[in-house]
Amino acid sequence: MNQTNHHFLGIDLGSSFTKFVVTDESGKKVDHAVVPTLSRNKHSFDDQHQKIRDKYSIRKVCATGYGRDSIQSDMKKTELICASVGISSLFPQRKNILDIGGEDIKIIESEADGQVIGFHMNDKCSAGTGTFITEIAEKAELEISEMSELAEKSTAARIINSFCTVFAKTEILGWKFEDVPIEDISRGIYLSIVNRITKLPLRMDLPVFLCGGVIAYHPFLISLLTQELGVKVQATPDPQFMVALGAAVLAGKR
Amino acid sequence: MPRLQSQAILKSVLKDYFTGLSAPIAWCTSAGPAELLRAMGFQVYFPENHGALLGASRAALKYIPHAHQAGYQSEVCSYLTADIGAWLMKETPLTQAYGLPSVPKPDFIVFNTNQCREVAEWFNFFGREFDCPVMGIFPPRYVEEISQHHIDDVASQFKELIAMGEKIIGKKMDPEKLAEIVTLSKEGSHLWKQVLDTGKSTPAPITFFDGCILMAPIVVLRGTQICIDFYKEALKELTNLKNSGIGHIPDEKIRIYWEGMPIWGRLKWLSQLFAENQTSVVASTYCNSWVFDDFDPDNPIDSMAYAYTQIFINRGENSKLDMMKSLLKTFNVDGVVFHDSKTCFSNANNRFGLPNRLKKETGIDVLNIDGDLNDLRFFSDGQTKTKLETFIEQLQMKKSAG
Repeated sequence: MNQTNHHFLGIDLGSSFTKFVVTDESGKKVDHAVVPTLSRNKHSFDDQHQKIRDKYSIRKVCATGYGRDSIQSDMKKTELICASVGISSLFPQRKNILDIGGEDIKIIESEADGQVIGFHMNDKCSAGTGTFITEIAEKAELEISEMSELAEKSTAARIINSFCTVFAKTEILGWKFEDVPIEDISRGIYLSIVNRITKLPLRMDLPVFLCGGVIAYHPFLISLLTQELGVKVQATPDPQFMVALGAAVLAGKR
Repeated sequence: MPRLQSQAILKSVLKDYFTGLSAPIAWCTSAGPAELLRAMGFQVYFPENHGALLGASRAALKYIPHAHQAGYQSEVCSYLTADIGAWLMKETPLTQAYGLPSVPKPDFIVFNTNQCREVAEWFNFFGREFDCPVMGIFPPRYVEEISQHHIDDVASQFKELIAMGEKIIGKKMDPEKLAEIVTLSKEGSHLWKQVLDTGKSTPAPITFFDGCILMAPIVVLRGTQICIDFYKEALKELTNLKNSGIGHIPDEKIRIYWEGMPIWGRLKWLSQLFAENQTSVVASTYCNSWVFDDFDPDNPIDSMAYAYTQIFINRGENSKLDMMKSLLKTFNVDGVVFHDSKTCFSNANNRFGLPNRLKKETGIDVLNIDGDLNDLRFFSDGQTKTKLETFIEQLQMKKSAG
């Protein structure tokens, strides 16, 4: 165990994956890990948690994400607060944060010091989120890992119109009957997501920082968002871990 | 054990009200002309109160699908769908609570579309079911300034209502009785306002969630001495708490204004969530909607026409903005939560830019949450908790930054 320094642990229990980030006393990330949130292996969370505790002297834990109330921790904060704090620890400037997660999209107007100035979340519908992509890609017989590469090869402007994931899958079925190339289908799925994001209340005079699991697995969204939003858009390093980083930073502050 | 003694007293008040209902009975909308009906000799029953009971007891979801099967779509008022569904299943929470075999049979059904057009469809359904005469008051809707022309329009409809009611009940309405009942309504309404106004102090002894319970008499017993007596007691209790510096939350850090319908099936959950975050919901448009300052016993019909037309839900967006600004100021509020009640188009006031204009004009932060008055399929515990906790922290950060 690393006993020489104290460390802080942020745990982001998201709808699809649970992310762990360990920071040192300066708030710098020193380690991270990820396990599925709801897998058949019920021990995966406990095993990973123990591994971290064996390796580091954890002084405080902050839990975040939808499952934050389901574990013991020293403090709990929402994923919006943590995203703002985590990204601000790396980019201390006034900004928009766009967090595309498994089941929701969040827009946060964030101050340089991590203060949340305002935010917006999609309603209960999962359209435009990670779950949406997974469901549609499955119907389109697309490999998630190949989607970005395929979409880059297309210039098609066709988008999915339906707000409902189930009806969107029906639309995709129609595309398949029409023999729409898989490159165009990939791009169409991303375009439909970006189309929804551009309707959300985003401050257009501020740069956009992207985080969340969807950005980590779908890099094509970055260039598409830059093109469609017309503002500076950049991905954060390890975007899937930004919320857990913020949680760890907050654990270290209090 | 309820937190407020008044809530315990309310139980017996409501028991007496429901078990005492006997013919001739008029059904009436909650902001309908109950005073006219009482003056004519009807006892008055309020289906919206029944709808709220179905929501608060979390029975609504059992009944709503039966209304859908009868052709009432999932997007329309879930008071309506829950109430009609319960009727179709021949069930009511009044059986368990008060031993009533069913909702009371109406002799006259009266609605006022000052709230919404759904009440017309709802009450007409029961008119057909009971083969009962129905009369609707159709005031001008979404008005900004209320003119004499508007008052004359509604007053003339009230006069038609009196004529119809007199025919049903078989006797003339006593004008002195009407003046007496309007006097009682005015006093009850004034006391209700004073009860709500105790929330102006910090910490607030009353919250929106208490108000949703305590409001029952101003709805179902408006125009009676019982209503006045109840609010005198409630006011005494809340004034004592206020004077002793006892709030619902001792360490109140944030004060919230609730705009829109209650989420009846989550009242307790929401109340606890706010309390855990040292936040009081100190005021609401909803509870203040039964404050009728303008009743005048010397001019009962015209003053009722004005009072029931000027309510928030019946006003234009500019008037709504002004009414909210005034309440926000007097209750010293840090933030506003707009509840976008998915089946209540008329009382989901976040849909035409009002939150943005309110924030621009007052600087007070706003939050929209999705939900519904009765249909919890439109509500997500997890998402609402995340939104509210983030919003409260946002307000705390802003407050501590000065």
